[in-house]
Amino acid sequence: MTRTTDLELPEEIDLELEVANVGSRTLAILVDLGICAVVLLTVYVISSLLAENVSDWMTRFGSSALTIVLIALIFAAQWLYFFFFEWRWNGQTPGKRLLHLRAIKVDGSPVSWVDVLLRNLSRPIDAFGPMGLIGLLMIFVSPRAQRLGDLMARTLVIRETPIDWSIFDEEGGARPGGVAAPSIRLSSEQWELLHRFLNRRAELPADVRGRVASSVYTSLKPLALGTDLELSRLEPEAWLLEFARRT
Amino acid sequence: MTLGAFVRKNRPRWQQLEGMLGLLEGHSPRSRQRPFLQELSAAYRATAGDLAFAQTHFRGTTVLLFLHQLVARAHNQIYRARSISLAEVGAFFRREIPEAVRAHLLAVNWAALIFVTGVMLGLSAVQFDERAASIILPTSILDSIYSGRMWTGPLFSVVPAPVASTMLFTNNISVALLAFAGGLSFGVVTFWILFFNGVMLGMVFKLCGNYGLLAPLTAFIVTHGFLEISAIILSGGAGFVVANALLQPGDYSRRDALSVQARSAVRMAVAAVPALIVAGCLEAFVSPSTLPFAVKAVIGLVMGLSFWLYLFGAARKSAG
Repeated sequence: MTRTTDLELPEEIDLELEVANVGSRTLAILVDLGICAVVLLTVYVISSLLAENVSDWMTRFGSSALTIVLIALIFAAQWLYFFFFEWRWNGQTPGKRLLHLRAIKVDGSPVSWVDVLLRNLSRPIDAFGPMGLIGLLMIFVSPRAQRLGDLMARTLVIRETPIDWSIFDEEGGARPGGVAAPSIRLSSEQWELLHRFLNRRAELPADVRGRVASSVYTSLKPLALGTDLELSRLEPEAWLLEFARRT
Repeated sequence: MTLGAFVRKNRPRWQQLEGMLGLLEGHSPRSRQRPFLQELSAAYRATAGDLAFAQTHFRGTTVLLFLHQLVARAHNQIYRARSISLAEVGAFFRREIPEAVRAHLLAVNWAALIFVTGVMLGLSAVQFDERAASIILPTSILDSIYSGRMWTGPLFSVVPAPVASTMLFTNNISVALLAFAGGLSFGVVTFWILFFNGVMLGMVFKLCGNYGLLAPLTAFIVTHGFLEISAIILSGGAGFVVANALLQPGDYSRRDALSVQARSAVRMAVAAVPALIVAGCLEAFVSPSTLPFAVKAVIGLVMGLSFWLYLFGAARKSAG
């Protein structure tokens, strides 16, 4: 079940945005932590390799310089990474970008640096390590999926739904010539459901493909009442192809 | 109009808007020219119109969701928070931080009181029974105190001062920021940080006194101590402001009190950061040096005093 949030714009349009769910937010955090870990590990490996291979005074200088870098990076991973990216990338970190998430103010406006600071300073209390449980609980319980830091900064995290545009390319595409004129009327929601599936099916693993096909089939079947497809014995996917031809 | 026809007809406009938003978000210089902004405003209004149309005719589709997001994104850019100018950074440090300190003086006092209580308890615990120190202080420090040596000498001769200073101030900044964030735990974490650090300081002082190390300890701490402790107390105070908003929201709802008070208090936590960087550098470069005690004491007092003078003096000036 997706949760949405309503925003009212000065242009008197009500915006309805999809609030990001626990799963994608957790994944985004894991991606971000992974990036930090890889960077830290790389610097650590370089610094220890350097300590073995380079002449004495350079080693001493180089290793203390690299130690400073390493300490600074650990600090940055903890306190600056999220702050910096969300500030510069308008509410996104690399992990959030990957999962199409974005932090915005509850009134829909973009986050300022103070908002970003507030929502990320709270991470040790509600997002990092075992304390993450508190954040998870908050995201579950609060109506707009806000953790403590979000409440403090008046922000929320939305998901920017990625869209498959190719289904709109040419409407006649699924209807080869020779077939009778369209006779079944679909709502735009049903039309989208059908075509998103037909477009995606080649990428799906066989079991998922079958499952999705039969669930799309079940929801569209009533529309075929009174046509030749009503009693058709085709497999769900083949049935859907036939069905698409008749719309 | 079918959904497909709607998308095919209007998508070029959405793509144009997306492209312009990309330029705006990337702070491209082109995005500041007048014709660009006029085009943006036209594309925004047209897309908002498409959204209204889609809301009526294409409920429940991903296209509608997309339009919601596109319009929100454009709205964000058109009404976005301005980026920070140098003047604003100046005003933040000159005016906003001192104002926050003045507004939350009571919380800062509580933080100081809790820290001092910790120090007193640490002192009297060691006074009562010296073994109390072994509960909290690490054995390496204890061993060197028992044998009448300062633990700071070997520490700073092994680690180069630049590394030590980085270590010290990143660690202290983490503690200070945690003291602020700890307000979200209803102040429990904030209280613990202030109290625990107080107890530790008290114990070290009493123990060093018992073993004739009071003079070297004071000489070591006097340079950076005032500034460091002031900064921790300041951001502890900020933590208590957050905690108080949760515990006693007053006329506001708890949620509103939290966001209003945290927004104001976070300035104090930000103020602690530069102070702790300075304190960390002093601790690594000056404190272990062989400078005469008087010089160290003067540096330390001037640093600590000017920090508070800045916090209070500037506030009075802006009030006048």
